[in-house]
Amino acid sequence: MAGIPPAPSPGVVAKKPARRCAEVCLELLCAESVRLFHAKQSGPAAAAALEAVGYRVGQQLAERYTRDKPRLGDTLEIIKFVCKDFWQALFKKQVDNLKTNHRGVYVLQDNGFRWLQRLSPPAPGSDPGREEAARQLALSYLHLPCGIVRGALCHLGVICTVEADPKQMPSCTFTIRIMA
Amino acid sequence: MLRSGPTGARNAPALEQINAEVFTLTYGSIVRQLISDYEDIEEVNKQLEQMGYNMGIRLVDEFLAKAKISRCSSFRDTADVVAKQALPMFLNVTANVTNWSPDQTECSLVLTDNPLADFVELPDEYRELRYCNVLAGVVRGALEMVNMEVECRWVSDMLRGDDCYELRLKLKEHRDEKFPYKDDD
Amino acid sequence: MGIACVAFIGPQNNPMYLRSIDPASDDLYMKLHYVIHCALDAVEEKVLLKRGPGDSQDAYLGLLYPTEDYKVYGYLTNTHVKVLLLLDDEGAVKDEAVMRVFRRLHGLYVDTASNPFHKFGLPLSSPRFDAAVDGVVSIYRGAGASQGGFMT
Repeated sequence: MAGIPPAPSPGVVAKKPARRCAEVCLELLCAESVRLFHAKQSGPAAAAALEAVGYRVGQQLAERYTRDKPRLGDTLEIIKFVCKDFWQALFKKQVDNLKTNHRGVYVLQDNGFRWLQRLSPPAPGSDPGREEAARQLALSYLHLPCGIVRGALCHLGVICTVEADPKQMPSCTFTIRIMA
Repeated sequence: MLRSGPTGARNAPALEQINAEVFTLTYGSIVRQLISDYEDIEEVNKQLEQMGYNMGIRLVDEFLAKAKISRCSSFRDTADVVAKQALPMFLNVTANVTNWSPDQTECSLVLTDNPLADFVELPDEYRELRYCNVLAGVVRGALEMVNMEVECRWVSDMLRGDDCYELRLKLKEHRDEKFPYKDDD
Repeated sequence: MGIACVAFIGPQNNPMYLRSIDPASDDLYMKLHYVIHCALDAVEEKVLLKRGPGDSQDAYLGLLYPTEDYKVYGYLTNTHVKVLLLLDDEGAVKDEAVMRVFRRLHGLYVDTASNPFHKFGLPLSSPRFDAAVDGVVSIYRGAGASQGGFMT
């Protein structure tokens, strides 16, 4: 028949293979964004800006990563999705440990948080000043990923706050507090 | 932990890879944030270029650690390396080097596939935004580390309706130092 | 497949996108809005019903309800975006075919949402998205498309 464009073959919609790039591009981009936002603004304002950057990315990744997934159910299921598939896609591994107090607080532990890998922890026995400086630096790098996690969760219907604690780098905990 | 795999064939060095969408989306979100923080689009363009410059000066180390390139003393060779080795290594895309000026101090890097621009639809109100300006900065920063002072500016942009991404490179100064990575000796 | 209307509604039942395939009068738009409004109620019911253990938790919600003029089909994303298709087919329509349309529309939405200039919570305003929806609709308008198979 003339005039009708050929139809796609029935079945799954063809998806192009995911585009790849070198990880170092993302690392340097994140490092630069930390520097950039802290250079022009006070600490809290810079933190808020970085969190906002992450939040938008989290919303967009929630759309992308849940596109082909069966419907996620309750809060726990959504958080488990974040700990497994989402963390894997974003940080190349799953969360190592998930704890909850069953009253709206979830603690995610990642023993080798990828986005802190480039920061070297202070040598054991360093003076408290050094340790604190290293901790502050790590915290500045964590606003963006916290924003991503919070953005994704909120976009999936779990309204919450996310706070990171770089206890012993590169190990890091993320505390999710569900807002009632 | 990041440099996995052997330094393999000349054109396929093994840098750890990720799905580009996280990079693309993060960059896009940064651009959005800068626009809301600065409001002046020209200022945003400058910040993006500066950000790229800072990234470029560090990317060079990553590149030279992986790529087997012999001494690269001419601007011409360098442009080729950027287009045919560096861009593929970091972004898995290639560019063509064209439009050389007669005195060989100016050329264009032309791309039709640009990961930074995936999903991007530039609204009319941001017509003046040079969305990919980070790349201009990266090239400027990288070349500065090999003693070439260049000016990089976008002359074509697919996000603005052109049919390709064209980065114009203009060599201002080539400090005549020996390229630190010699293949002889 | 007689796709009369494509609609996207956000998590807060905020209107994101409403497209009447054939040019619509104000009256028709009012009718469409009404149908969509009822459809959202039907979506909620379906979602509650599907919550039983062992139930397949798909995005595709199937036929929500038939009105006089349309068959209304629904689809719900994990991000609580509702996609509605109003079909004006006389005869039978296979679920498979409708599912395929929804999946493509979902994909288009996800890519549009990945635009850094996209604003969540506001209506979609993307010429690229509009053109792409046109493209999907035109592919599926072919004879036999409702049956799941395609004829050229």
